[in-house]
Amino acid sequence: MNEDFALVVPVALVWAVLAVVYALAPWGDMIGYAWVWGFGSALFLGLSTLLLRRRKSDRAGSPAAKP
Amino acid sequence: MADIYTERLAALPRHDRKLLKSMAAVALSALVLGILGGVVTAAARGGFLDIIPATGYRFLTVHGVSIFFYWLFTAQAALLLGFAAAENGRGLVWRGLAWAGFVLMLAGFGFSLTGSYMGTPLLYDGAPELGTDDPSGLLVFNLGYSLLGLGLLVLPASAIGTLLTPRWQAQQERLTAVGFALFAWAGFLMVTGFAALYTFLPGAAWALGIGAFPADHGTRWHIVFHNMHYLPLMATVILWYVLVRSLTGVTSVFGERFSKIVFSMYLVFVPPTSLYHMFLEPDLPGAVRVAGSLLSLFVSVPTLTAFLIIVASLEVHARSQGGRGLFGWMRMLPWRHPAMASIGVAVLSMALGITFAFVLIQGDLAPLLSDTFFVPGYFHFFTVGTVSLTLLAAFAVVLPAIGGRALWRPGLLRWMPWLAFAGLLVFGAAGIAAGYMGVPRRVIDVAYQSQSPALWMVLMAAVGAGGAVMALALTAFTAAVAASLWPQREPAPSHRGMTVAWDGHALRPGASAWVGPISVLVILIAMYSFTALGFELMQSLPVTASGGAAH
Repeated sequence: MNEDFALVVPVALVWAVLAVVYALAPWGDMIGYAWVWGFGSALFLGLSTLLLRRRKSDRAGSPAAKP
Repeated sequence: MADIYTERLAALPRHDRKLLKSMAAVALSALVLGILGGVVTAAARGGFLDIIPATGYRFLTVHGVSIFFYWLFTAQAALLLGFAAAENGRGLVWRGLAWAGFVLMLAGFGFSLTGSYMGTPLLYDGAPELGTDDPSGLLVFNLGYSLLGLGLLVLPASAIGTLLTPRWQAQQERLTAVGFALFAWAGFLMVTGFAALYTFLPGAAWALGIGAFPADHGTRWHIVFHNMHYLPLMATVILWYVLVRSLTGVTSVFGERFSKIVFSMYLVFVPPTSLYHMFLEPDLPGAVRVAGSLLSLFVSVPTLTAFLIIVASLEVHARSQGGRGLFGWMRMLPWRHPAMASIGVAVLSMALGITFAFVLIQGDLAPLLSDTFFVPGYFHFFTVGTVSLTLLAAFAVVLPAIGGRALWRPGLLRWMPWLAFAGLLVFGAAGIAAGYMGVPRRVIDVAYQSQSPALWMVLMAAVGAGGAVMALALTAFTAAVAASLWPQREPAPSHRGMTVAWDGHALRPGASAWVGPISVLVILIAMYSFTALGFELMQSLPVTASGGAAH
């Protein structure tokens, strides 16, 4: 774990809480907010897992090495 | 020390440079088209141009569609990719996704403009039932924004892959502050793309006969609007951070980790503050209204904190280079570069924009001001003065670096942001005053057959005049920046003489930095004063607030 991961995970958590609150809100039509922030929460959770991914060595011919 | 971004951008692979130039060309074209729509609208509102209201609305639609959606987001996407590639140092990965996203956005632009040409599109303030009059128009217009949303979902994946590849290859322990900011920006762009799809796909599906009627389309607009408002501001602050390093060599004196915390704060603070868009909903409970007012106070915390980091870092470095006086150190900044002039105007515009934004989102003032010209009066400080000038500043650095022509006449160009600011001050002051006076914002002709107060037309004439100056300066600036898209026959001369390099120099012990905190204090005092003025004015008028579908 590193600081990048530690800073992104709270974003996913805050957005998840927000999505739940909006989904359960008895006033207004807030389900759209729940969908958007719920998607955002899942996305940032996915991005945080990308921050944990790591290869041991540089692979020859990786996309970045191509011109 | 050499400017790392300029050098890395210059060394990008040819395919990446081609993509960035194509995106910049589309973004700048959208800006020019939007400016044309805006200046015609402002002239019509100011009484300088006699056009029928339907034509005026069409120009207003082209103005909003081109600038608020396609200029701001194509430019953001291009700059995100460019700086992500520069961070990586070896170019873009998953380039096919970047191209696919760009093509989707371009197709969306075509559909949106066609929809604007076909008729009056159903916007957020229109009754959904109006869509039944022209389903084909709704289909084309909504397809445009849906394609834009899809493009925003796809394209940032390339930036994310580019930023993370060095880490995946065990060549980088953690992202740099800029790398982390770009990573967060890319994620937020994808969420905004999803929000656009959620908002606009149902209307298109209904028009195609495969979905339910979008009766709640106004609420869906609220959702996408919140992201559309704050994402460009996040992009602006990130670009200030990058450009200040490029133009002066200065990085944060508070360290990379603190910068990352501030950039992540955008993502934590922005979503919960969206409640204030609901203030005009009649069934919103009082407790939620109070919570929304309190939360709205946090909306500018990340922006102001990032502003403090940048200004304090610049001040400490300038004082270490011999800068003196409370404000005298600012003379040492590289004002000869048009990008620095743009950032200066952007900061001033942001201060004014934030001041009046806080006036508008007061729970009691929102119903009175939201449908008045106060709104366009204040938000042009953000869209033009803050965001657009920052994006243009970034292009003024990026385009010459990726192998285009050197910046055209920088000595003349550096005055364009200030000329635009002069026009903006007239436009904004007259517009905000008109809003306080009750001038409606969605009406092309406010004369009401000479029945409206005479002052209304005077203020609208000032709006038109200020808008014309602003448009002229912005068009000149845009055209000059776009000239750098043309290939250079000879190597472009370095812009080194226009910048300073304060990195690598020891900081003077005990150097103070007061301008940032003083600026925030001035903004707070101004916010309080204009809010008080708003209440005084409104209470003196013989009107009662009534909620409407405004945001």
